[in-house]
Amino acid sequence: MKDQEGHESYAPGRTSRRRSPRLGWNGHFTSRIAVALAAVTVVGTVGLGTAGGGTAGAVSSTARTPVINLTWMTMWSGATLTLLNKMVTQFNKTHPGIHVTETNIPSVATTSTAKLLSTIAAGDPPDIFTEWWPEIGSFAADGDIVNMNKFLTGPYAGFKKWEYPVAVQAATYKGGLYAVPMSLNSWALYYNTPLLAEFGIKSLPKTLAQFDADQAKMWTFSSGRIVTMGFYPDTDGNGFQFYTSFFGATNCFNKAGKYDFASCPGAQAEMKWIASFDKYSYAQVMALQTDLGFVAGGQTDIFTNGKSGFELSGPWVGAENIPVSNPDLEGHFGVEAFPGIEPKPSTLGQGNFNIIPKGSKHVAQAFEFISWLAGYHNESFVGSIDPAGGWVPAGPSVTKAPAYQTWLKQNSWLKGFLPQMTSPYTQAPLLTPTQAQLFTAENTATADVLQKIMTPAQALKYIDQQANG
Amino acid sequence: MQVDVQANESPVAPMTVASAPRKNSLRSSRRRALRLGLLFVSPWIAGFLLFFTYPFFATIYYSFTDFNGVGAAHWIGFANYVNLFRDPLFKTSIFNTFYYTAIELPLSTVAALGLALLLNMNARGRAVYRTIFYIPSIVPIVASCMIFVWLFNPAAGIVNDLLIDAHMPSPDWFFSVAWSKPSFILLGLWGLGQPMVIYLAGLQAVPRDMYEVAALDGAGPWQRLRYITLPMISPVIFFNAILQLVLCIAYFTPAQVIESADIGGPGTSTMFYVQYLYEQAFLFLKLGYSSAMAFFLFVMSAVIMVLLFRSSSRWVYYASEQQ
Repeated sequence: MKDQEGHESYAPGRTSRRRSPRLGWNGHFTSRIAVALAAVTVVGTVGLGTAGGGTAGAVSSTARTPVINLTWMTMWSGATLTLLNKMVTQFNKTHPGIHVTETNIPSVATTSTAKLLSTIAAGDPPDIFTEWWPEIGSFAADGDIVNMNKFLTGPYAGFKKWEYPVAVQAATYKGGLYAVPMSLNSWALYYNTPLLAEFGIKSLPKTLAQFDADQAKMWTFSSGRIVTMGFYPDTDGNGFQFYTSFFGATNCFNKAGKYDFASCPGAQAEMKWIASFDKYSYAQVMALQTDLGFVAGGQTDIFTNGKSGFELSGPWVGAENIPVSNPDLEGHFGVEAFPGIEPKPSTLGQGNFNIIPKGSKHVAQAFEFISWLAGYHNESFVGSIDPAGGWVPAGPSVTKAPAYQTWLKQNSWLKGFLPQMTSPYTQAPLLTPTQAQLFTAENTATADVLQKIMTPAQALKYIDQQANG
Repeated sequence: MQVDVQANESPVAPMTVASAPRKNSLRSSRRRALRLGLLFVSPWIAGFLLFFTYPFFATIYYSFTDFNGVGAAHWIGFANYVNLFRDPLFKTSIFNTFYYTAIELPLSTVAALGLALLLNMNARGRAVYRTIFYIPSIVPIVASCMIFVWLFNPAAGIVNDLLIDAHMPSPDWFFSVAWSKPSFILLGLWGLGQPMVIYLAGLQAVPRDMYEVAALDGAGPWQRLRYITLPMISPVIFFNAILQLVLCIAYFTPAQVIESADIGGPGTSTMFYVQYLYEQAFLFLKLGYSSAMAFFLFVMSAVIMVLLFRSSSRWVYYASEQQ
């Protein structure tokens, strides 16, 4: 019974029943509590199970209106998230028929992948998901993501040609395009000009042998601890895979289509080169990296702190990390293509890829959004966003955008990242269902070789064994 | 005292005649009580069926399939189990887990019991010491990992600074293949507060008069510990050993935190079993394979538990059973 204000109140008769001495723990009142408890459990459980259904309902109700709602699941936080929000706001402003909502789950790649799988299994996946771990091949092979070839007609007929070749290569599985990067990574050699001068290195190394000799001059120690260093292959988690393009070892397969790094001359040369750094203490380098980096709470590393002569990294180091963590280094560093044994320039094709999960409700609009994020027919806006993130765009025409050109002019070192994007020697690892195993094995093998746990030959065999499942 | 059986039985005899309706009433009351009881525990039963029983049997089923988490699961027989024994990392992860368990379990038992014995002594400020030793166990595990990696950093950590000052060898701790597992064991020892408190409760339940009698008979502190304390708290030791064993076999979080942040655990030197299982499931999306790993872990744990329970009759003393 409700009172005048609508609150529940007890009826007089009911009050008297509640006072009845017959109704204790063994009476109807107890039964009701038990039934209510059981009912709450069942309803709660069913409610939990259908939590996704609420979203589906919301979508169907909004489907009556002309606006199509898209959900975009990403895993970023901090400054990058702010940039993504800017992009979403701009898209929603310029596309009145589509409304994108960004769902952000800050996490490591493994947990975000698990979350994506859960949403697909629950029948309520996001329309777009940003993937940076190499599981696209596995998703594509299992039919968990949408083949975008069907969209490459009409205004999108020239889309693949618009992208950098390596962006297409990195996202193609058995002829189908399964992902579109919103930005690409380009890896090049950072060098610390004053530190090089301090050790008498007057010109940049042109060959790998010169590079090895120069970097070796820069290692100094105090009480067994590193004070300065030249270069080390595994800082920032940059293992075997990051150097493959410099040795022509990105894609090593045998005739049966299985990974075969053990028989690949480029891979053998690369792993031998990595092993040449085993004279330095792996533990000391990693400890120094940790001390200056993650545990210290900043986006810093040995190079950013001015303690290393060289480092292989991407444009975000110069664009974001150095200005924030060590502004003193600004104007005192440069970037060049890495002097590998292949004719330079080259780099590893990699990036932040957007995929459309199976079960996405609006695949065509999702593709429209991700191609817009890449900068297709949107060069001017993306050209203004990419510099803030320190990103290399998905297609070369974005670099022609006025804002991007201004950024390049203001930061001459950035030129070290762009030429290799169109180089024929730049390669992306071909998509396979076991690429995640490949990359994990390459990192483990690199660390094991540097610690003399494995010989280079054993390491390559280990990679093949793990990557071939 | 003489018991008048007839007098005792006499009231019962007439009851047998009229017992049928009473019994029915009792049965009905019991049925109602049972129904109520089941209704009250139904939330737990629902949770048990949904979140334990179903996943348990689903895991067994998926272990015989190539399930990837999304698509259809195809029956592949024992292939996952055969592949387990061909997988070198599976063996590495078992070795690492057993290494950790074999050292951590006895060490943590001795250390927690030792601390409890010390904190059970009549000393000034006992409550303060108890609090101090318990605090580490309530520090969030991720924070503990970060603090440890920082303290034990070979390049700048305070532990190595002290070792160097003392002219002692300074290991590379979490960054060294040789020292990474011992580093995790040290990290585990830091959070001893929980078992320590349980031991302390057990110690306080040992009757004082036993010690007094033993002292009168000339037993020294060691003999009192050996022949009174340890037997009397052996059920508590057994309980703690089981808890610690489960934690050791399922060791995951600290290793995952430290390795995923690239701040230790070089190569596969600290690849623990559950971590490898997690990697197979959520990095490589081999949920069938990881289900086989999970079921193997269940069987392995069950065997160890059975052995432990069987051995308990030899060394665990239950005073109630003796009576």
